[in-house]
Amino acid sequence: MKKAFAWILTLVMAISLVACGANSATPAGSTTDSTAPSASTATAGNTNLSVIWWGNQTRNERTQAALDLYAEQNPGVTFDAQFAEWSDYWNKLATASAAHSLPDVVQMDYKYLKQYVENGLLVDLKPYIDSGVLDVSGIDPGILEAGSVDGGVYAVCIGVNAPALLYNKTFMDENGFTVKDNMTMDEFIALSKEVYKKTGMKTNVSYGAGENFIDYTMRAQSIELYDGNKFGAKSAEDFVPYFSIYENGIKDGWLISPEVFAERTLGSVEQDPLVFGSGADQRSWCTLAYSNLLTAFQAAADAEGVVELGITTWPSADPAKSDYLKPGQFFSVTVDSKDPEAAAKILDYWTNSLECNEILLAERGIPASSKTADALAPKLDSLQQKITDYINNVVTPTCSAISPAAPENSAEVLKLYDSLQEQVCYGKLTAAEAAQKLFDEGNAILAG
Amino acid sequence: MSSKQATVREKKLHARKKTLGQWLNQEHVAGVVCTSPFIIGFFLFMVVPMILSLYYSLCNYNILSPPQFTGLANYIKAFTQDPKFVKSICVTFFFALVSVPLRLIFALLVAMILVRKSKLSAFYRAVYYLPSIIGGSVAVAILWKRMFAMDGVINSILRNIGIQTSISWLGNTSTAIWTLIILAVWQFGSSMLIFLASLKQIPSTLYEAAEVDGAKKGSQFWRITLPLLTPTIFFNLVMQMINGFLAFTQCYIITQGKPMDSTLFYTVYMYQQSFEFYNTGYGAALAWIMLAIISVVTGVLFATKKLWAYEGGL
Repeated sequence: MKKAFAWILTLVMAISLVACGANSATPAGSTTDSTAPSASTATAGNTNLSVIWWGNQTRNERTQAALDLYAEQNPGVTFDAQFAEWSDYWNKLATASAAHSLPDVVQMDYKYLKQYVENGLLVDLKPYIDSGVLDVSGIDPGILEAGSVDGGVYAVCIGVNAPALLYNKTFMDENGFTVKDNMTMDEFIALSKEVYKKTGMKTNVSYGAGENFIDYTMRAQSIELYDGNKFGAKSAEDFVPYFSIYENGIKDGWLISPEVFAERTLGSVEQDPLVFGSGADQRSWCTLAYSNLLTAFQAAADAEGVVELGITTWPSADPAKSDYLKPGQFFSVTVDSKDPEAAAKILDYWTNSLECNEILLAERGIPASSKTADALAPKLDSLQQKITDYINNVVTPTCSAISPAAPENSAEVLKLYDSLQEQVCYGKLTAAEAAQKLFDEGNAILAG
Repeated sequence: MSSKQATVREKKLHARKKTLGQWLNQEHVAGVVCTSPFIIGFFLFMVVPMILSLYYSLCNYNILSPPQFTGLANYIKAFTQDPKFVKSICVTFFFALVSVPLRLIFALLVAMILVRKSKLSAFYRAVYYLPSIIGGSVAVAILWKRMFAMDGVINSILRNIGIQTSISWLGNTSTAIWTLIILAVWQFGSSMLIFLASLKQIPSTLYEAAEVDGAKKGSQFWRITLPLLTPTIFFNLVMQMINGFLAFTQCYIITQGKPMDSTLFYTVYMYQQSFEFYNTGYGAALAWIMLAIISVVTGVLFATKKLWAYEGGL
């Protein structure tokens, strides 16, 4: 009897320890237990859905508000909202998938989509589209296709963006430079040289940003960056133009020294040389970003609007071939969801509800459904209208389909792009050597 | 006969009838109950994960899908076709072999000063211990990054004393590792406290005798202080060496291995493989290789101990 009591005591201790462990293993530091959805859906009527996304403070607030509205309109549905910074987000999702405790709805990125589908972690949404739960009639087929893998629809786009060169318009105007749309690479380099000669201001060409710009330059040569589990390029020669930009930029002085980036957090809007840096040699007149980032960059550059940022296309040997619309962000339903239909309804709400999008205000990019986008357009502020105008009138007329999603082993290749770019900028490798290394080592990694 | 049986039965009955308090008061029970939180925690969070990681190290495992057994492939890959593995080992050894002795010398120096009795010595001890508490934190790492920036405080101090420089400490392959070494040396507090304690243990009679014999301060240090401190130095060396090999935060926050992998610590590389490239099986193999390396280094230190550490009584 007493022995039993003591054992119970020990058991309680053990369980509390296990519980601590289990809690820390759940995807986010949320207060709600991750097992809650299964428990509540089992009793029917009440549905608790967990939703996770990455982003910034503005996005967190707006997403939460949109979810609250849905919960209000649909009694019985409650949300467990979780969010993380981009860099932590994928670690969190990976560990949650190992524990089979993925949230019901996850924000998905184009880069990771294939990997998650191939590992069988996402639900095919086709049945819900066919049954009318999820209405995608307003979404352009090309955009919908981006969320599809092998015929199944695994992700629904919740914001369309495009590659965008953001530049300090005030500074360029003051110094008498004009930046035109659809600049070729040569025009861009000539402009950068002139800016450097006249003002000392340097240029940042997508330093340490992984595959985005190399993909863009390859598109100009009509080569797909990835072709299944290898590079689309047939020989190392094809990579030389890309690395030459960096080799020549350092040689001619207009490219920012890689040393500047050693002290910055790469990917941080606030530390980008466009908006931050103490001297002209640490600043850049432009940055290669995506259209939805204009809001964040404008805020970082100057809150009062004295500095105006401009938006145009990335430089490319053939801008028409390179340009594409990027279904920047997706929502997916995971296999760990106990009620995928309820989760699919959230995706429908996100895509088609004007009320929802009036809260979100295109923060993730322009709504994928053209019906929603058109209805929302008059409600956007001038900055958002500038982005819409850029996408509709500059990119859309010439753009072609986005490159296929990156294969499974691409994370290590992303590091390789950055590392080779770094070595070229430090003068340790010539463009030809870097191209050869990328071709050999990259193909080896991709082959797995 | 029957009475004997009765007493035996009584004893048994008595044994069963112990109250909970009595039962808990038994030495072996109390011990087990009181240590159970640790023991359970140790098994759940140390032993089980270690066994799992040993298993994963023999697998092709990417977290997202179930592990596939591949035998020693990960270990073979590390030693035969991974230049970054070799590079990160070199960087880590350089870091540990430079920063640990420097830190110990610095700790001993400060301990020698603080061992003197003065009104403020307690205050100074606390102040010098502070870096050890906060030094490993993310906040200090970010501060360090700003201090060594091109327009940071280090360069402006250098300019103020007349050295015109705009060197990028973090961007230069030969200086970046030194910013991390300096940060490590700065965290000398815990070694200093251990040195302080053992400095106080040295009997003053030895110094008095030396003074009578006319020994100067310098030879007192070399002939008395240092030999008697060797066991403490040994202890500090082993502990700090292990910590040095496992350093992670500073590198991860300040340099991320940049520039050109010149500061790529082994643990950071392991993290990259496990959680950025999703080669988790390979990452687990790297962890076990590190365990082997640390064991060998510690083993060598212990083997050479009797050659230089004083073990006799006073």
